[in-house]
Amino acid sequence: MRHGCILSSAMNPSVEARLSSGQPVLLDGAMGTELVRRGVRWRKHGLLTDADRVQQLHEEYLAAGAAVIRTNTFQLNPRVYLNVFRNPEHMRHIGAPGLEDLTPKLLRTSVRVARQARAKAGKEQQAAIAGVLAPLEHCFRPDLAPGFEAARTEQLELARIFAEEKVDLLLGESMNTIAEARAIAEVARAVGLPAWISFVIGPEGELLSCEPLAQAIREVEKLGAQAVLVNCAPPAEIGRALAKVKAATQLPYGGFAHIGRFSPPSWKFEFFPQFSESEGWPPERYAAEARRWRDAGATILGGCCGTAPAHIAALAQMLEANAKGARSA
Amino acid sequence: MSYAAVGRKLGAGEMVILDGAIGTEILRRNLSWADHQLASRPEFVRGIHEDYIRAGADVISTNSFQLCRRALYNHFRDLAHRRQIGAADLDERADKLLAASLHLAIEARTRVAGGRPVAVAAAITTLEWCFRPDLAPSAKQAKSEYREIFQVVKDAGADLVLLETLNSISEARAALEVAKSLGLPCWTSFVCDQRGRLFTGETMAEMVAALEPLGVDAILLNCAPPGDINAGLKELLATAHVTTGAYPHIGRFDPPEWMFTDEYPPARYLQVATSWKRMGARILGGCCGTTPDHIAALGDLRA
Repeated sequence: MRHGCILSSAMNPSVEARLSSGQPVLLDGAMGTELVRRGVRWRKHGLLTDADRVQQLHEEYLAAGAAVIRTNTFQLNPRVYLNVFRNPEHMRHIGAPGLEDLTPKLLRTSVRVARQARAKAGKEQQAAIAGVLAPLEHCFRPDLAPGFEAARTEQLELARIFAEEKVDLLLGESMNTIAEARAIAEVARAVGLPAWISFVIGPEGELLSCEPLAQAIREVEKLGAQAVLVNCAPPAEIGRALAKVKAATQLPYGGFAHIGRFSPPSWKFEFFPQFSESEGWPPERYAAEARRWRDAGATILGGCCGTAPAHIAALAQMLEANAKGARSA
Repeated sequence: MSYAAVGRKLGAGEMVILDGAIGTEILRRNLSWADHQLASRPEFVRGIHEDYIRAGADVISTNSFQLCRRALYNHFRDLAHRRQIGAADLDERADKLLAASLHLAIEARTRVAGGRPVAVAAAITTLEWCFRPDLAPSAKQAKSEYREIFQVVKDAGADLVLLETLNSISEARAALEVAKSLGLPCWTSFVCDQRGRLFTGETMAEMVAALEPLGVDAILLNCAPPGDINAGLKELLATAHVTTGAYPHIGRFDPPEWMFTDEYPPARYLQVATSWKRMGARILGGCCGTTPDHIAALGDLRA
């Protein structure tokens, strides 16, 4: 039986109960790629110009059955802005006013928008809000990742804001090195929030840094992570990685795959959420794949880039049918 | 069409008007610039070129800032990862879009230039981020990538290469050598800081000494506010023998987009440009934040 972890009191009670009793917990699907697909111009994560559409998407995920919604903050940190200037002085000199203080403002907005969506859905008791942390540099470039100390210092600033805004947990998403994943597990503990850590899976079936997935899991488990996940790889590869995760830990675990192909823009520097060919993965096909993960023991399921509310609704149906099947069996 | 008419003007000491911004102009007209809009809205991009030709530009530059294979490949860990999760056309996409950017500019010229000679410049910047010389590849690597890029733009009909927003002598030299080996006229334009230096800290004098012997056709400064460009232009004019020019940005960089301000309306922009003409600059145009109205105002410089 997969339980035994003591979840922090900050965790949403319903999600906590489900996790510790081994019941499935449904995550939401993609925010960035879905907002871009809907025509939102991707600037400041849409949080300044299109907060209503961000909130709308959260609401749709909740209506689809998601028990955990993730803040629209993937790769939102001060480096994203600093990296496109020569140095901080250059940013002050030619940059728009307020760039230095922009990240905290956007993080707070992201939680407010998620909270409003949850209230509007009437799911304050049932649904948790996960504050999304991610690699400080490009999620697909482990070669650029900061070391542990720098990551801990900078991630702590972000985690503090999420804690002040009272998210239910922190989700380290698409983590590509053990060092930065450890940093997130540690800062979550420092701010008193449960940490779920999710690793991006590379072509070798290990972390994108080529560090072994099993070792990464052991290290974040030692630091008190309360769930481990794998994400942002195609479904088949997520499935194979989940078998490794299962063998490596007693923690609740799960995954959320991307569907389609990453189609980066032609000029930008940082991660830009644009996927093509996602039509090849209609909701039923995705749910059928995820059913295998569930049957093998994964309890946390959701969708990464390319997925939409319909995929989460299909997962909810699959989980419900699965539970009925288990009861009648 | 060719570079000849522009070359003759510059040889005679006449003014040459460059176009204004294209990326920020796409934003100002309410589209995203993330994909350059070359494949999705080609007629829209061509329309901006046409507006600049109508505004009187002698040289129009392609909508190809940072459009290169490296810019796309940088979003992946490596080739294996790109094959694992990347879109199928990524290997060819940069070259195709780059060629398309030339074709659109050339079409715009065919449609609206009338008999007036207008040269099409392939706008190419640093291989890594323009404000980050610390990220630049080695000169050897840069040459190999610039060779691929310049062959594409040459085949697509570029009259000249405008190397813009350069940040180091080393990368400028690598690119210039390749352009010259392919027989392409080449202007090099640098971003400069408040002291009038390159972003590496190198001086204008060092840069001029490195590039003039390689046959650079003009040296310009761009993508800094007018005050910084002014500081750089003083340094540049003190040492350059070749034609010089400038095209500052106006407004503020608000990544990933641009913040438009009314600090430099066309009339004030013309005043600044006029002072640079008096100092000796002969190629003037606009970088981020400028519009066809700014370029139209520069027509007075010909008087």
